[in-house]
Amino acid sequence: MADHTYKSDMDNNHKQKKKGKWTRRAFIGVGGLAGVGLLVAVGGNVYLNKKVKKYSGAGMGEGDSLNAWIRIAPDNTITVAVPRAEMGQGVYTSIPQMIAEELDVDMSTIKVIHPQPESPYSNTFMLTQKEPNAFKGYSLMEKIYASLPLIATGGSTTIPDGYNNMRYAGATAREMLKVAAADKWDIDVADCKAENGHIINTGNNEKLSYGQLAEAAAEVQYDGLPELKKKAEWKLIGKPVERLDIPDKVTGTAEFGLDVRLENMKYAVLKHPSVIGGKITDLINKDDIEARPGIEKVVLTEFGAAVIGDNTWRAKNAALALRVEEDDSGNGNINSATIDAELNEILEQTPLATPVNDGDVAAVFSDKNNTVIEGTYEVPYLAHAAMEPLNCTVLVNSDSAEAWVGHQGSSIVQNMVSEVAGLAKSAIKVNTTYLGGGFGRRAEPDFVRKATAVAKEMPGVPIQTVFTREEDMQNDMYRPAAKSRFKAVVDTNGEITAWDNMMALQSVSNSAISRMMPAMAPPPEKDEATIEGAANLPYIMKNQRVAFGNHDLPVQVGFWRSVGSSQNAFFTESFLDECAHAAGQDPYQFRKSKLANHPRFAAVLDKAAELGNWGAQDGKFRGIALHKSFGSIVGQVAQISKLGDKQFSIDRYSCVIDCGTYINPDTVQAQMEGGLVFGLSAALYGEITWDDGSVNELNFPQYDMVRMNVSPQVDVHIMENEHYPGGVGEPGTPPAAPALTNAIFAATGNRIRKLPIAKQGYTFV
Amino acid sequence: MELTINGKSVSVDVEESMPLLWVLRDELNMTGTKYGCGVSACGACSCLVDGKVMRTCTLPISAVAGKEIKTIEGIADAGNLSAVQKAWIQHQVPQCGYCQSGQIIAAEGLLDEKPNPTDADIDEAMNNICRCGTYQRVREAIHTAAKWRQDENSLLG
Repeated sequence: MADHTYKSDMDNNHKQKKKGKWTRRAFIGVGGLAGVGLLVAVGGNVYLNKKVKKYSGAGMGEGDSLNAWIRIAPDNTITVAVPRAEMGQGVYTSIPQMIAEELDVDMSTIKVIHPQPESPYSNTFMLTQKEPNAFKGYSLMEKIYASLPLIATGGSTTIPDGYNNMRYAGATAREMLKVAAADKWDIDVADCKAENGHIINTGNNEKLSYGQLAEAAAEVQYDGLPELKKKAEWKLIGKPVERLDIPDKVTGTAEFGLDVRLENMKYAVLKHPSVIGGKITDLINKDDIEARPGIEKVVLTEFGAAVIGDNTWRAKNAALALRVEEDDSGNGNINSATIDAELNEILEQTPLATPVNDGDVAAVFSDKNNTVIEGTYEVPYLAHAAMEPLNCTVLVNSDSAEAWVGHQGSSIVQNMVSEVAGLAKSAIKVNTTYLGGGFGRRAEPDFVRKATAVAKEMPGVPIQTVFTREEDMQNDMYRPAAKSRFKAVVDTNGEITAWDNMMALQSVSNSAISRMMPAMAPPPEKDEATIEGAANLPYIMKNQRVAFGNHDLPVQVGFWRSVGSSQNAFFTESFLDECAHAAGQDPYQFRKSKLANHPRFAAVLDKAAELGNWGAQDGKFRGIALHKSFGSIVGQVAQISKLGDKQFSIDRYSCVIDCGTYINPDTVQAQMEGGLVFGLSAALYGEITWDDGSVNELNFPQYDMVRMNVSPQVDVHIMENEHYPGGVGEPGTPPAAPALTNAIFAATGNRIRKLPIAKQGYTFV
Repeated sequence: MELTINGKSVSVDVEESMPLLWVLRDELNMTGTKYGCGVSACGACSCLVDGKVMRTCTLPISAVAGKEIKTIEGIADAGNLSAVQKAWIQHQVPQCGYCQSGQIIAAEGLLDEKPNPTDADIDEAMNNICRCGTYQRVREAIHTAAKWRQDENSLLG
């Protein structure tokens, strides 16, 4: 589907064709960054195009587009520019779906391209967390963010960001086509209607196809704000539309970053310092390595070494044989045992921040009549381990550069190539491919930085820089290890009279945003990611304190699918289960009794219990968990069978999501199924450990995943309502672990307070 | 060295120890077969060699000379998708899609050997990693493909 256009318009001498006879797809050169000439107004949009067109239309085809997202060809083919990364979450379908709904066209007429990083494509919701509507006018903050611009995919924001904008993009294009038709027929616009790719003259039923009208429509100055379709009129939104990217993904023709093949391209394999944050200071056997067959060059850069060759395997073997001098930058003493002890110390210290401090928990705890329930929970570092190892292909020329990469942020790529190559941002072209998994890892700029530094060593030659699986796993931006120490009191009525949660972990946002957009990185005490899913619990609690301390380490930590909720759901929903059992109450009823202020949560919980046959006497054991993240509420019931003392099969999960209005229910379902398995992999197996400043785990045999034999049946139910859309890429992950461990408690009476489970003698089949 | 890939004879001039994966990807630019781990742990590089599912990231080409190699590019017959590929679309299996070439190859190999696999057969044969967690749909699609293949055979028979 994604027909990437790879003609280098900045270097006419560089003709990029596939080498060899096994060409899968010709590289079609079209358009260029210069774009098209006419200025096109879009709706009442005060920022995007009213006076100056802010996009080039590069890659959308010849001639004018109707706006930054839609170009219609004379043959009625519709090119939709999707500026969000397709990493399996279905955005190459859901964005066209919203546009096609208002444009009133069939999905089969749509071809997707990924546009250049230009300001109309900014993801303002990611930064403001407010419903944007560019066509009604941006707020000041939105204008600032759009002018940066931040074009990125993450935080489950594509639909919340695009729900208004994409429908208005389709609707304004539809209105422009109507104006063009009315002009042609010399009738009133009110006598035109749009239907299935045509404008119809309602007076005589004459019709013109969009392709026949597109050229004239592109010149229409439309300043109105069109009426959007009512939900009852939707033909595509809310319907299970087939994904546009799937046909190419079953034939091997979908192009991922690692599949980019260019004329005269070379392959580079990285060799990072063996200690995190260390430096490679010298190459001992550089000459021997460069003398190997197929090896072109060994380079030393600020981040480490790279071997450039004519084949990845030759470069990989050469990189393994490369001997180097290193400086550990003082980080050689980082190890898991020390990290564990430091986290314990932080739990005992005065908190850095106390985001929730309602009532007086200390008074409740000091009352000798109260029984205090206590539990300390912990999770380890985690790697993202996307299936496609990190890679980025870069061509650096004297006055321009071009990158081919599967990345979650095209503007982040452009900024990074610009910085490292020493060229203006306007001289950088970014070609976004499919991503072989993202999960937050591919929002990081490091692999683009490194690839550009390597490519700079061989100007004029496109170089595909690859992390081997081992380099990928050992140089991740990890989900941090974290601990939560809980104390609570439950009274005789089952009410939580005190809830105290003290957390210790490294600040993810501080670390990650320092790398992505340094000026915007919050200090650790202001990191919302630390407390998401811990400080916003829906349950009624009479006195509540949520506090945390920061673990200051040179380890780079990053956004890992569901971020703070990835550990906080396990912590809070497990300890809540402990409270229920301490009160002698059913875990489902105990939760429900505390949701009087949150009917949407209560409805999700009820539905999950119903779907999961809660309370059934069928020899199975069940655990329940409820958690809101990224604007959506998810409830899950895990159902397990006990096969031995510590052996289980995970038979089934019942998963209910309230994500408000949804675009593609099949995608929502797929994200619940997959997000849950992602959470289960972490619950059962995931652990990154440190010794002497290095990560011990190298590859999947040491960092395993849930596979087919362990993966449960997942039944998904989506709640129906009219609320604004929430995200769906991440919310399926957080409840998976506590639902399981709560079920294990039901089966054994053993409370699991530490992940991963499989390292504590449990086996799953 | 002469190789037979998807029914075509191909000549490559590389080290005998080069794994088939890298011959396909970097010498022949057949990028449908994926690099995932390099240690035969994930299955992303799976191809059919004389009809048997092989992980090609550790399989030297010296071991496959003279054998019939089938890659994901050779699964569709003159543009007609196989029953497995069609079932993959029907069940909307892929998410990111990176592991799916290997999953489809493993499914083709399984169904060639066991035309009507049980869930236990699927658990045993399909141990490729999918980080997106599409296992449930892979399982459903295999059952659907098995049925479609049997229907086709009964029509042909």
